[in-house]
Amino acid sequence: MKFLKKQEDRHISILRKRWLKFKTLKRGYYSLITLSGLYGISFFLPMLINNRALVVQYEGEMYFPVFSGYIAGKTFGQDVPGEARYRVLKELFKMKNNGNWVLMPPYPYSPYEDITMEGNKMYEPPSTNHWLGTDNTGRDVFARLCYAFNISISFALILTVINYIFGILIGGSMGYFGGKFDLFFQRLIEIWSSLPMLFVIIIISSILKPSFLLLVGIYTMVNWIGMTYLMRAEFYREKAKDYVAAALSMGQSNFKVMFKHIFPNALVPVITYFPFSIVAGISALVGLDYLGFGLAPPTPSWGQMLDVGLQNVTKWWMVFSPVSAQFLTLLSIVFIGEGVREAFDPKVYSRLR
Amino acid sequence: MATYFLRRLLLMIPTFLGSTILVFTILQLAPGGPLEQTILQLQMGGLTGGGEGGSGSAVGLDGGSVLPESALKELRRFYGFDKPIYQRYLIWLGVWPREIKHRDFEITSTSTEVEKRVGKRDGKIWKVDIRMDENGRLFVFEKDGTKSDIWAASIDEAREDGTKEAVIFQQEYSGILTGNLGKSYTYLKPVTEVMKPRFRISLFFGLTGFFLSYLICIPLGIRKALNHGSVFDFGSSVAIFIAYSIPGWALGGVLLVLFGGGSFWDVFPLGGFRSPIEVWETLTPFEKFVDQIHHMILPVIAWSIASFATLTILMKNSLLENLSQDYIRTAFAKGLQEKRVVWVHAMRNSVIPIASGIGHILGVVIAGSYFIERVFNIDGFGRLAYEAILSRDYPITLGFLVVVVLIRLIGNIISDLALATVDPRIRFK
Repeated sequence: MKFLKKQEDRHISILRKRWLKFKTLKRGYYSLITLSGLYGISFFLPMLINNRALVVQYEGEMYFPVFSGYIAGKTFGQDVPGEARYRVLKELFKMKNNGNWVLMPPYPYSPYEDITMEGNKMYEPPSTNHWLGTDNTGRDVFARLCYAFNISISFALILTVINYIFGILIGGSMGYFGGKFDLFFQRLIEIWSSLPMLFVIIIISSILKPSFLLLVGIYTMVNWIGMTYLMRAEFYREKAKDYVAAALSMGQSNFKVMFKHIFPNALVPVITYFPFSIVAGISALVGLDYLGFGLAPPTPSWGQMLDVGLQNVTKWWMVFSPVSAQFLTLLSIVFIGEGVREAFDPKVYSRLR
Repeated sequence: MATYFLRRLLLMIPTFLGSTILVFTILQLAPGGPLEQTILQLQMGGLTGGGEGGSGSAVGLDGGSVLPESALKELRRFYGFDKPIYQRYLIWLGVWPREIKHRDFEITSTSTEVEKRVGKRDGKIWKVDIRMDENGRLFVFEKDGTKSDIWAASIDEAREDGTKEAVIFQQEYSGILTGNLGKSYTYLKPVTEVMKPRFRISLFFGLTGFFLSYLICIPLGIRKALNHGSVFDFGSSVAIFIAYSIPGWALGGVLLVLFGGGSFWDVFPLGGFRSPIEVWETLTPFEKFVDQIHHMILPVIAWSIASFATLTILMKNSLLENLSQDYIRTAFAKGLQEKRVVWVHAMRNSVIPIASGIGHILGVVIAGSYFIERVFNIDGFGRLAYEAILSRDYPITLGFLVVVVLIRLIGNIISDLALATVDPRIRFK
């Protein structure tokens, strides 16, 4: 209990104690801070990585293309079909130096602009313009990588939360009520776990052509059993304890006993498995995207980039970038997971001889 | 114990039925199945054949106006879509008669008896009589007046003028239970014949990877446990974290780029199970051996990396946990040598969790093979299934499912058996 420095710290709640313990595990703690920081920032990506300007000052008027969306090139006196070309505009205004100016985002490429935008070439190796090169349709790899980071983590988070809700509800009821309900779901789980899940997801995705939410739905449908089984065991064990009997004898409803009394005691696996569920979710999305059964193109995704890269192994940046991004993300989540496990379930091995 | 395993074996049946019913139903109810695709193909083909293909707007393409009704019927029969779904499943299972060798005929409104030529038997023309009873049911009789036990007949459709379209067919029970997985739509060969060589390739890779990972992970785990907290332990932990955070197939991709002759070194071939058959045939046995190894190194690394992390950690933690037990303290207190304590006392208890994983290995190997086989361009089992889903080749898709589900169910039981063998304390009931 080294991390509890002051005497009064010894009276705090167990969850807080565990949090303090987690904070002492530097690897996991810094991974958590970095990752959640990056994830938070990734929601503001349109302002950081975009081919639309943040601010355009033109003829005494201000425009905010990132927020207002499409603005035709003619508005700024640009002779181009469709939307304004802000990068060109910036150079132009700088050259003319007549009071007009453009403020671009720090990285002025969008994940969607391909060779149809002038100046973009296919398979450009990494350079100072395109930090990680361009892909088979001339899209900027770095921009796509960053947007895919947000999508991957959001996917895995939503997936895990929904999975957990189902798992806790069904598994909890199975363990708490037992009987026929338990038996029915046990058989169902047995059937489910005998199926090759990835195969089933591919079959369904090949039929339905999934969107983001549909993919989450399909994945939940095949993946709820893990948490369900864990929760069943936890509730089953806790149910037999005295405090449950006490709560019931005081006339508490089943629902209250389950979620007010038992659930807090069954929280440990929920929390310790969380990071590893996220790892599984991200890996699954990358895998499905690689096979072409994930999110519909042109959604930025690591798996799709890998697919393109592996079809042209001479374009090494197309393989290394998504693999490194995925690797670093997963590694930091694994560090977090390891830290959480250590904080919740400390094992001290003593060598006796 | 025996009753436990007997019950487990019997419980396999409902689980197997449940999982196949589930996937079968999804496949059969899915839009854009093989029937629709063939119809579409035929209609497109018909249009281009008639010289109208370039006209762009496909006039009258709506269901069946191009294909004659008889052809549609033929197609539905070929794919088995002329029956309700539960019958299709039972036929596929082999407990409902499959109808084969269909021959169409008509019964006019005035007659109740038809003579039909059904082929040849013993070199002579084979004819049967078909009679209709007052309820409209058809019975087939041989020429000598006995009821035919080979042929059966049923009425398909009654036309407005009273003529009935009927069909005569043979019945046979053949399905999963008789070992008949059907015929592939794309390869036009029996599914088992298509799957066998593919399965062998995947198994070959899988087992090599399996033995390799056990050979590396168990000694590594032991060494890590014995030197817990040392530099070696820390260094190998880094490798384990890396292995855990990168899927094997993605690592395989990186290895391909590095060593496959793309941008960096040209050390290993870009993929394939072995050299192409023309080259392979000219090699001497030794060269064949070298060629096989040469092709296998990268995929096997990618294959074994998946279990590398979990297996090593499992071994390490299991041994560490045992080493901190009281009986180890007692052993040391007796004055035994450390070698004996570790290898005889602690090790025997530590391999228990490893042994219990053995049954699952095959299932894991087969299930994970889609990715690696696609990355390395190996014509294996997983790739076969993946392509079957893409081309809506239902017999192969379902055949793959049957094989995988059976492997998993049997694997579970093998795991329990292995557990019971190495750990005499375990009593299943």
